[in-house]
Amino acid sequence: MKELKILYLYPDMLELYGDYGNIQVLKYRLESRGYSCVIDRYSLEDIAPDFTKYDLVFAGGGADIEQNILSNDLIKYKENIKQAIDEGVFFLLICGAYQLFGKYYKDVEGNIINGLEIFPYYTEAIEDRKKRCIGNIVIDVNLNGNSSKVIGFENHGGQTFDISSPFGKVLVGNGNKFNDEFEGFFQKNIIATYLHGPLLAKNPELADYIIKYCLDRKYDENLCLEPLNDNFENLCREQLLNRFLSQ
Amino acid sequence: MKNFFIVLITKIMHIGLKILGKNGGNILGKLAYKWNPNIFSYFKINSPVIAVTATNGKTMTNNAISYVFEKAGKKVLSNKEGNNMETGILSTLLKNCSLTGKIKADYLVFEVDEGYVPILFKYIKLDTLVVNNFFRDQLDRNGEVESLILKIYDFLKTYNGNLVLNNDDPNVARLGRANPDNENVYYFSVEKYKYASNEMKEAGEGKFCPFCKTRLEYEYYQYSHIGKFICPNCQYGDNEIYKLGTNVDLENQTFEVDNVLYKMKSNSIYIVYNFLAVISCVSLYDIDTKYIQEAISEFELNNGRLEKTEIKGIPTIINLAKNPTGANVSLRILNEDEDEKELLFVLNDNRADGFDVSWIWDINFNNLTNVKRIITSGTRAYDMAIRIKTSGFDVSQIEAYTNLHEAVDSLYKTNVKKYVIANYTSLQPTRKEIFSL
Repeated sequence: MKELKILYLYPDMLELYGDYGNIQVLKYRLESRGYSCVIDRYSLEDIAPDFTKYDLVFAGGGADIEQNILSNDLIKYKENIKQAIDEGVFFLLICGAYQLFGKYYKDVEGNIINGLEIFPYYTEAIEDRKKRCIGNIVIDVNLNGNSSKVIGFENHGGQTFDISSPFGKVLVGNGNKFNDEFEGFFQKNIIATYLHGPLLAKNPELADYIIKYCLDRKYDENLCLEPLNDNFENLCREQLLNRFLSQ
Repeated sequence: MKNFFIVLITKIMHIGLKILGKNGGNILGKLAYKWNPNIFSYFKINSPVIAVTATNGKTMTNNAISYVFEKAGKKVLSNKEGNNMETGILSTLLKNCSLTGKIKADYLVFEVDEGYVPILFKYIKLDTLVVNNFFRDQLDRNGEVESLILKIYDFLKTYNGNLVLNNDDPNVARLGRANPDNENVYYFSVEKYKYASNEMKEAGEGKFCPFCKTRLEYEYYQYSHIGKFICPNCQYGDNEIYKLGTNVDLENQTFEVDNVLYKMKSNSIYIVYNFLAVISCVSLYDIDTKYIQEAISEFELNNGRLEKTEIKGIPTIINLAKNPTGANVSLRILNEDEDEKELLFVLNDNRADGFDVSWIWDINFNNLTNVKRIITSGTRAYDMAIRIKTSGFDVSQIEAYTNLHEAVDSLYKTNVKKYVIANYTSLQPTRKEIFSL
């Protein structure tokens, strides 16, 4: 049976906004099609993982205090992570994890939390703790040449600068900064974004894009994924796109 | 003089509202506060002030404390309707004071919103603060739990009154260290119950020691992150327990404290914790145990808080769930019940609910016990359906209706036992639909 191996980073620390749902959605969509899905978890004090052995690496968003604790741990794996990215392992990074893969994160007090410096962007929190980009967000994303509307929820104080290739164009919501035109960071095998929701729950097209990428890479083929019963997803998208885009 | 007139005017308004048959909520407090934010200093309070705060269970704990005092023949003034911000508490005081600001009661018992504890008790002298739990709750409105706790921690640094704390919540017990000079810190705890587990089954907060950042070790989890924990590095958590709940028996709805048996009208571990908070609190005021026993055996939740009813002869249990822990506690009760049942989950995303519904992914829908069908409704009915489907529940047995009337209609097509979980703004509309059947 064909199988995807997922590495889930810091599941007990980066788990503030139900981001684990992304893994559940991937697992559900894989298993519904007869593929197997193995999820390995890594957190502080665990045995070091080899990132290159995985098909997909996932990390979510957490509270400042936790992000501070784990950033020093993550940096230990910088070279291994770089190698995995170069070899084409898919990285799905949400919110706090998005920030950690950049140069640095400057928090509300002005403290610098070092990033992995794998990507050239950096993030600075707004000094006013109460000012955050919060709300429903819809972005337009280009997936293999097809435009897809991606629905999520953003909640971040950090403003991310120097994005060379964004994830999507903002239709409703803020994006990388207050009133930004663009959201997230996107490279063939990297999606880094502020979108919770969880991201993949209401965006099956995006979930399947990731699944197809990983399977194609692993088994060197050009798969056409079997369609699934997405009735609830379609109804949900129709309802929410109507509501949010008419705001 | 100004305060005298503020009180006079609000009292006249109160009478007016009463004639119109209205309660007014916190309107009086809002007005008075606008006229003079320092009005709190006008009240002459000579009785002990008790405050209850928590993410979940404030109203119940508050009302049960009041009920025990009343059983013991005491006069209690309390914000029983749950208006728990400063203006709500101000309204309660305005309605019950004399024109010169005198408050006549043996005890003042207030439930206070977590964020308002430091604000409110700058003005009013607090005798006892009861803190029961901290869970993630509407993050887009309230922010992270940690910042809320730190605010209360700061307030407690100079507080010397009674502090009643849940020792099984690492985020609560830490408050006991805020003021090392305070000798009036009392911890309560509950012994392992039948469905406690070795792993955290539901999303929780307390994973690291707040003092030395070491990962906490748990002997067991009762629910969410509530359980017996210790910091292996600095021994945080190893406190002397003032009141310990033992022999929790949810089938027979009993538990014991100090070898006294308490019977209750509930079958949830979460409620046992609320009652431990109640017992710890009232014990500080020398209330005879027989009144506590009596009050706890009679105390009943209502208004959609674990409300038990029968609709068309079909047993129905309705519970409010504003956050993952609230929902997980409801599902625990459902899972500990072997009977065949159907579930209705109503999810709105109005302002008071928080716009962010991603918290539903922190609800544990795995391995539901004997649930035959699930119906979802509310403005986010489809989000809920996707969530449940992804957990592995048979998609052909899930129905989603954004229209609440249709949802309730479909729910009662069968005569299987019903569990209903609804979030904040959906609770009353859901009850209304159910009770109009």
